[in-house]
Amino acid sequence: MLDWSIIVHYFPFLLQGALLTLQISILSLLLGIACGLVAALCKLSKNPLLRWPASFYIWLIRSTPLLVQLFIIYFGMPQLGIDLGPFLSGVLGLGLNVGAYNAETIRGGIVSIPVGQTEAARSLAMSSSLAMRRIILPQALRIIIPPMGNNFIILIKDTSLVSTITLVELTLTAQRFIGSTYKPFEMYLMAAFLYAVMTTTASVLLAKLEKRTNRGQR
Amino acid sequence: MKANEVHLDQPMVKISNLQKNFGDLTVLKDVSLEVSASEVMVIIGPSGSGKSTLLRCVNHLETPSGGDIFIEGELVNNTQLKHKAFETHLNRIRCKVGMVFQQFNLFPHMTVIENVIEAPIHVLKRDRQETLKKAEELLAQVGLEDKMDTHPAMLSGGQQQRVAIARALAMEPKVMLFDEVTSALDPELVGDVLRVMEDLALGGMTMMVVTHEMGFAEKVGDRVVFMADGFIVEDGPPKEIFRQPKETRTQQFLADIL
Repeated sequence: MLDWSIIVHYFPFLLQGALLTLQISILSLLLGIACGLVAALCKLSKNPLLRWPASFYIWLIRSTPLLVQLFIIYFGMPQLGIDLGPFLSGVLGLGLNVGAYNAETIRGGIVSIPVGQTEAARSLAMSSSLAMRRIILPQALRIIIPPMGNNFIILIKDTSLVSTITLVELTLTAQRFIGSTYKPFEMYLMAAFLYAVMTTTASVLLAKLEKRTNRGQR
Repeated sequence: MKANEVHLDQPMVKISNLQKNFGDLTVLKDVSLEVSASEVMVIIGPSGSGKSTLLRCVNHLETPSGGDIFIEGELVNNTQLKHKAFETHLNRIRCKVGMVFQQFNLFPHMTVIENVIEAPIHVLKRDRQETLKKAEELLAQVGLEDKMDTHPAMLSGGQQQRVAIARALAMEPKVMLFDEVTSALDPELVGDVLRVMEDLALGGMTMMVVTHEMGFAEKVGDRVVFMADGFIVEDGPPKEIFRQPKETRTQQFLADIL
C-alpha cells in the first residue's frame, strides 16, 4: 500500500520541482510562439532567402527526436565553445522544438483564411504587413489556438526530458528522492499528479481563450 | 510623359493595350479604354470574357501581362519601381480606387462600423472621432445606421454588400470598381444594393461596373462596354448597345440573356 507519511513529507519538495517545470514551460512557450510565428511568416514569404531557412528549421526539428536535440545543445555545443548551462539549454531546446510545430500550425491557420480577405485589405490600400496584422492574423488566431494549445500541453509533459540534462525539475526531483527513500511508486505518483494539475490548468485556460476569440463569429 | 506626373485633364482611368495571361490561358488579349471623371461605365459580357480580370487589373489585384493602366494619368503598373517603393506607390493609387467584390469580403472579426473605419484610421491615419462620425453618415447613406455594432455574420447578403460599399467609400475614392456585386445575392436583396449604386452615380462618382443587371446598365450607365473572349467587341451608349447592337456577337449575347 501507499506510504502516506512519505507523501506528506516529500510533497513540498516535489512542488518545488514542479515550480521549475512551470518556469521552463512558460519560457519555452513564449520562445515557441515567437519562433513559430517568425518561421510561419518566413515560410509563407515569396523571398527564398526567408523561405528556405524556415523550411529547413521546421524539417530539422520535426525529423529528429527532442531528446537528441537537447543532448546536442547541452552536451554538443560546448565543444564549439557555446556552453549555455542546463536551464538555458532546456528552454532553448524545448522552445525551438515547439516552435517548429507551432510554425506549421500557424501557417495552416493563415492559409485557411479566404484570399478575398487579403484582396479586400489590399484594395483598401493596406500594406501586406498591415493586412497580416489587422485582418489575417486575428482571424487565423481563432483557428490556430486549439491545435497550438495541444502543442503546449505536450510541451509541459516534454519538459520531463530536460531531467536528462541535469535540470532538477519535477521528474528529476522525484528520481532523486527515490534514491534515498526506495519509494518509486509514491514519488512517481506525486510527480504524475503534479503534471496532471499543470496540464489540466493549461487546458482550462486555453478553453477560456478559445471562447473569447470566438466572440462575434457564427 | 513622366510616370509620376498627374494631369487633371487626363481621363480618370486609361487602359491601353492591356493583356493578361494565366499560364497558357490568355484572358485579356488587347483591351484599351478610357473612363472620364463622373462617367459610369458598365461592362457586360459572357462569363470568361475577362470582365472581372479587367477590373482587377485596374487596382492591380492582378498584375497585367502587357499594356498600361493609368489612374488620373499616373501609371499603375510602374515596373521601374521595386518592392517597397512599388508597394507604397500602389497603396497611394489604391487610396483613389475603391473596390466592391461579389463575395462582399467584409472582415468577420470586426463590427460593421469597425469595418468601415479600419482603413481610414490605419492607412490614412485619420482622427478616430471624425472617422467614426463620417462612417455613421456613410452607413446612414446605405440605410444601415441601425446595424453599426453588428458583426457581418448577422447581416443578410444585401446588407453586407451595402456595408462593403460604405467601407470602400470611407477612403474617399475617386473611382469605384464593382465586380458583379449583386451576383451572390438573393433576388429580393438586389434592389437595395443597386439603389445605393444609383445614388452614388447621381452624386457624380466615376464607376466601372461589371454586372449582369441589364436594367441597371441601361438606366444608370453612361456607357456600356460589351466584352467577349478577352476583347472589347462593342462600346457605346446603353441605348445603342441594347437597342441597335452593331456586332453579331453582341446581338447573340443579348438574345441569350434577355
